[in-house]
Amino acid sequence: MPAGLAIEKRTFAANRANGVVALEVAQRAGATRRLRVGESGSLRLRFPGHAGPDLEAVAINTAGGIAGGDRFTFDVTVGEAASLTLTSVSAEKVYRALDDEAAVAVTLKVGPRGRLSWLPRETILFDGARLARTIDVDLADDASLLLVESVMFGRRDMGEAVTTGRLADRWRLRRAGRLIYAESLLLDGDMAARLNRRAVASGGVAMATLLMTPMDDGFVNALRAAEGLRGETGVSSFNGLSVARFVAADGESLRHDLTVALRLALAGPLPRLWLN
Amino acid sequence: MATAITTAIGMIPDPKLDRSHSTGVETVSATALYRLMTWLSPAYPVGAFSYSSGLEWAVESGDVNDAASLCDWLDTMLTMGSTWADAVLFANAHRAVDEGDDDLLRRATELAAALVSSKERLLETTAQGRAFIDASRNAWPCAAIDRFAAVWDGAVAYPVAVAVTAAGHGIALAPALNAYLAAAIANLVSAGVRLIPLGQSDGQRVIAALAAAVETADGRAMATSLDDIGTCALRADMASMRHETQYTRLFRS
Repeated sequence: MPAGLAIEKRTFAANRANGVVALEVAQRAGATRRLRVGESGSLRLRFPGHAGPDLEAVAINTAGGIAGGDRFTFDVTVGEAASLTLTSVSAEKVYRALDDEAAVAVTLKVGPRGRLSWLPRETILFDGARLARTIDVDLADDASLLLVESVMFGRRDMGEAVTTGRLADRWRLRRAGRLIYAESLLLDGDMAARLNRRAVASGGVAMATLLMTPMDDGFVNALRAAEGLRGETGVSSFNGLSVARFVAADGESLRHDLTVALRLALAGPLPRLWLN
Repeated sequence: MATAITTAIGMIPDPKLDRSHSTGVETVSATALYRLMTWLSPAYPVGAFSYSSGLEWAVESGDVNDAASLCDWLDTMLTMGSTWADAVLFANAHRAVDEGDDDLLRRATELAAALVSSKERLLETTAQGRAFIDASRNAWPCAAIDRFAAVWDGAVAYPVAVAVTAAGHGIALAPALNAYLAAAIANLVSAGVRLIPLGQSDGQRVIAALAAAVETADGRAMATSLDDIGTCALRADMASMRHETQYTRLFRS
């Protein structure tokens, strides 16, 4: 490697972002309160709403995206009978990795009768992006969870295609210690060629997964009957949870379908940041 | 020994994982072959013929409509879908029994029952798993099956059930996994032949065309840990979800 490039790579590595968010909330006199807010590196939390039964938190990545070598950690604990909705201020962009892959580790714990809605905006992978993410969820027996994660491979309307890169996304969801759902997504190599295969995405470049527990057949039936969806949807309930999957030709269609599904799942207003 | 069948196993990335395959060639005894062919025959009472892993919906939707599209759909399932996940679960469960590693066996079994995409996929793998264990405990008892009951008392996925039994009878991983995947592909092709419909010879050509992909999957699966399974056959998973509300159905999944 030429000396100049080596220095450039070292400098780049030294500038890579590390971010940690550690949030613990608890229920006090009918309102959900912050018990502990830890922020470091480029990750920040904002709490735009008023005190109430449900606390709304918004994550912000001040680094403006994720690059190779970045390390981000989210550690969220919802105490007994507390309720938290966590979203993010904007789509998270994952840029081309020069060397190391980026890593995001999410740990979510929800106590007895607690409720967590984990509704970040979409993750956008650019060509050459390499991201390894883990999501570990630990639920008390009677806790509730609504989780949505969506990924777009490039932005088709801006002419971006993803032909190289890697996304490894490993989820483990436990209720009362028992593993009730696991997901082990891996897309690598020629991503566009993989996405083009009929049994993968048939050319779609946007996908999402929604998890809801306890399972809700009302939601499942309503989503199956929903009209005007722009992409494809599959939904099923098993092991005490409901799972919906979405595949769409582009990000805008996916976002439309997710908004429909979230309105059904929340049976109430969407977080404000989902509306713009 | 009357006969020995020699099978070439291609592409084993790390021979250290299983020294018996370091030559890339596995000799299967007639005893092992008899067992594998019996357990993975459509006549073994697990009801394999009644499951299609969502293929019935893929035919209904038009995604699978001829031999070429069937072959592509199954190749995707085998290299990056639920069949691939089953191969890795099988390899890890077999290794766990071989090495007496109860912790790995427990983790493989737990993961296999949770790494499912739909209600029908869960039914497909756990109903066959339970039936396989029950049938084998009666007709083909071995210490590994009894020991397994002490290690795990929950739902058992089909690949884990077959892997535990094969390892318990001293059948090496490579031929056992190859036989398992061959049976899985043959079962799905049989479903495709009935659903599309295809001629029997077209179905056999699809099975032959996928033989190399099965051998590649064998080798990769033997070198893949539980944490690195990795699938992306999203529309195949969605097909098994959508099959739940399909109006006319021949299959349970």
